[in-house]
Amino acid sequence: MKQSSWTYARRFSQSFCLAVFLWLFLQTEYRGIDQLPYPVSLLFRIDPLAALADFLAPGPFGWSLLWPALVVLLLTSLFGRFFCGWVCPLGATLDGLGKLVGRGRRAFSPGWRRVKYYLLIGLGAATLFGVQLLGLFDPLAIFLRSLTLAVYPAYNYGLNKVFDFFYANDLPLVSPVVKNSYPLFRDYLMAFHQPIFALGLFTFLIFLTIVLLERVEHRFWCKNLCPLGALLGLCSRYAILQRTPQRLCADCQACDSLCRSGAVRNAGLIRSECLLCMDCTGYCPEERVSFGLRHAAAHDPGIDLQRRGVLTAVASGIMIAPAVRIGPVTYEQNPYLIRPPGAVAEEEFLQRCVRCAECMKVCIGRTLQPALLEAGPVGLWTPLVVPRIGYCEYNCTLCGQVCPTGALAPLKLAEKQKNVIGLAVIKKDRCLPFAKGIECLVCEEHCPTGEKAIVMEEQDVLVDGQLRRLKLPRVVDKLCIGCGICETKCPVEGASAVRVINQGESRRKRTELLAGPYG
Amino acid sequence: MMNQIDRRTFIRRTVQAAIAAAAGGLPALDLLSLPAQAAQAPPLAVRKGQDVPLLVRETISALGGIQNFVKPGEVVVVKPNIGWDRTVELAANTHPGVVKTLVQLCLEAGAKQVRIFDRTCNDERRCYTQSGIRSAMESIRSERVSLEYMDRRAYKELTIKGGQAFDRWEFYMPVIEADRLINVPIAKHHSISQLTLGMKNLMGVIGGNRGRLHHNIAESLSDIASVIHSDLTVVDATRILKANGPQGGRLQDVRVLDTLIASPDIVAADAYATTLFGLSPEQVPTVVAAARRGLGVMDLKQVRMV
Repeated sequence: MKQSSWTYARRFSQSFCLAVFLWLFLQTEYRGIDQLPYPVSLLFRIDPLAALADFLAPGPFGWSLLWPALVVLLLTSLFGRFFCGWVCPLGATLDGLGKLVGRGRRAFSPGWRRVKYYLLIGLGAATLFGVQLLGLFDPLAIFLRSLTLAVYPAYNYGLNKVFDFFYANDLPLVSPVVKNSYPLFRDYLMAFHQPIFALGLFTFLIFLTIVLLERVEHRFWCKNLCPLGALLGLCSRYAILQRTPQRLCADCQACDSLCRSGAVRNAGLIRSECLLCMDCTGYCPEERVSFGLRHAAAHDPGIDLQRRGVLTAVASGIMIAPAVRIGPVTYEQNPYLIRPPGAVAEEEFLQRCVRCAECMKVCIGRTLQPALLEAGPVGLWTPLVVPRIGYCEYNCTLCGQVCPTGALAPLKLAEKQKNVIGLAVIKKDRCLPFAKGIECLVCEEHCPTGEKAIVMEEQDVLVDGQLRRLKLPRVVDKLCIGCGICETKCPVEGASAVRVINQGESRRKRTELLAGPYG
Repeated sequence: MMNQIDRRTFIRRTVQAAIAAAAGGLPALDLLSLPAQAAQAPPLAVRKGQDVPLLVRETISALGGIQNFVKPGEVVVVKPNIGWDRTVELAANTHPGVVKTLVQLCLEAGAKQVRIFDRTCNDERRCYTQSGIRSAMESIRSERVSLEYMDRRAYKELTIKGGQAFDRWEFYMPVIEADRLINVPIAKHHSISQLTLGMKNLMGVIGGNRGRLHHNIAESLSDIASVIHSDLTVVDATRILKANGPQGGRLQDVRVLDTLIASPDIVAADAYATTLFGLSPEQVPTVVAAARRGLGVMDLKQVRMV
């Protein structure tokens, strides 16, 4: 197939944008500076779906963070879905991997095109009524989530195994080369700590499904399912960047089978479906195709959304809200539902969080884990603090810095150190001094608050029939911020003898503190 | 747990059994606890001063100079406490100035390489930066100095001969393999071991679930110190942490003492450091256990003050 310079330009743009996003992804890590020097969550600041979630959430719109998303919408209304063809990293990934997995040429019923609009409408209606699930289907969130939770951990695991092998086995010629390249990888191209995520495989399978859909139809996801594509499509209806000819030519009809988005029809060009890949400028045997700026003309048959379908989508979206609300309040049901510092009140948090996984990528202590059902039926992939895996580093404010939608407020260090995310509770049936009469203080030793929130008190305890003087740990509620380092470091094997619960969170209206010396 | 015993162990046990039998049921005399260095009193240097580099140099030269401890061409490990994400004035980590001058002294003595590391409690990147150790090491500008993160692959399980709390533990091999170890703890309060000093600082070069050591801290630390020999122990008491240790976080818990203690005998150095807290060596079980097991001298009257 002949390719025009437009095709090369598009491919360059796709590769360049993908490279920029991957580079920013690698920079989403602590590298010795408390304040991240790059706008690492740029991908979500240009994301109109993230802006929509923020716009429909309570509180003022985050102009300062999300204005780039509005620029994208404005440019789309002028030029069409350039974002899908030229910028979107998921689109670029599908274009790139399509060759690898094989490309289906099945022509799907045009009816499938409507699904993405219904998805957008349904999700939008649900968001309007307080249940925001846009992030589950946002292609940018899918891209970064898959990268963070699955692809990057697997990449690190594999590389570590390779380096470990050559560390353990000294092979002539090969080993020195591998060993010498290790510092470069360790310092710039790999994660400092091997990332560990509970939903890695689950997230990967979803990503894999989207990739494998390429075998069915090229850009199946983008054409039929992507709600961001639908939103951009709606905006591009009156775009002034136009293709000539505007319909299939009577003598050729090549575009009918070659156009990857099936946008060129006999009735005219469906502007909302054209991904602006511009391949047609190359493969047109008559070299008739060109793109140019002019006022919108006729011949856009558009996609007939059908009133019945739209109404069904709206109704389904609206129904989600009460369906969720008739369940129990999740954080009362699950006392271990702990959110990162700076998280806004749970209901607003769920409306703002677009499940982009930026916070989980940047978390220095690896405590942030994606939720499956722990945060309720609509909490999938939202960040949880899981202290047995890792703890919240006392002097770190990174998660608030990367959150693009204000689900996590950016806190100054002094604010963060006062932000209560939970409360440590000692389990006397597991804790060594209490349960076994053995000395231990690991929780107290690691407690990071200046005046320690865990204190040791000497007491005579009956151990094996004899009184023994032991130091026993106690939590001082008013000093504990729930960072969870005690739970992480507790040396008891298996379940920790100290666990953080979500009592007394700063983001909730505080119930009165209990009086008394440990209150 | 001992499946095989080597010849030395066999002989020792036989002798012990014989002595026990000869003594007619008296507890066996533990030959290991015979103080090996008791014959010659270990030197101990204590100096005060506000100029940190000068203080380090004076203290080390009181011991006869660094060349007594580091020979040209040797690989030296300098092991400060960098355990916590705390700044210098909070007295949770060894003073970067003390570490820097010691490293410089090693370089002046002709060390081939000086390696600095610690297995930290908080994130190691934060600790190395926040403690000031990273910038101090970088400011030396020598290729022979390397501040390293612990390599997770370099731990190896070793047998602890005569171990009281453990008979095996994971150790960090670069320390075992180095020619010299200079142990540079900071003197701090600690709820279980009372104080954290030179012996406790060695916990930063072992692997495994370190929390388990606290169940029997005195014997555990002696087990560790019996495997890892410190050629020189320099206790940083320029500032000490009197409460809320070992991590601190409040200036009111810090006392500025401008003091440095150094000795080739880790027990003697630790024993002297207890006095800075108004304690005596007998009150700190780790020091007592180590002395009983012959790892050094705790009786300050038997120490040669220089």
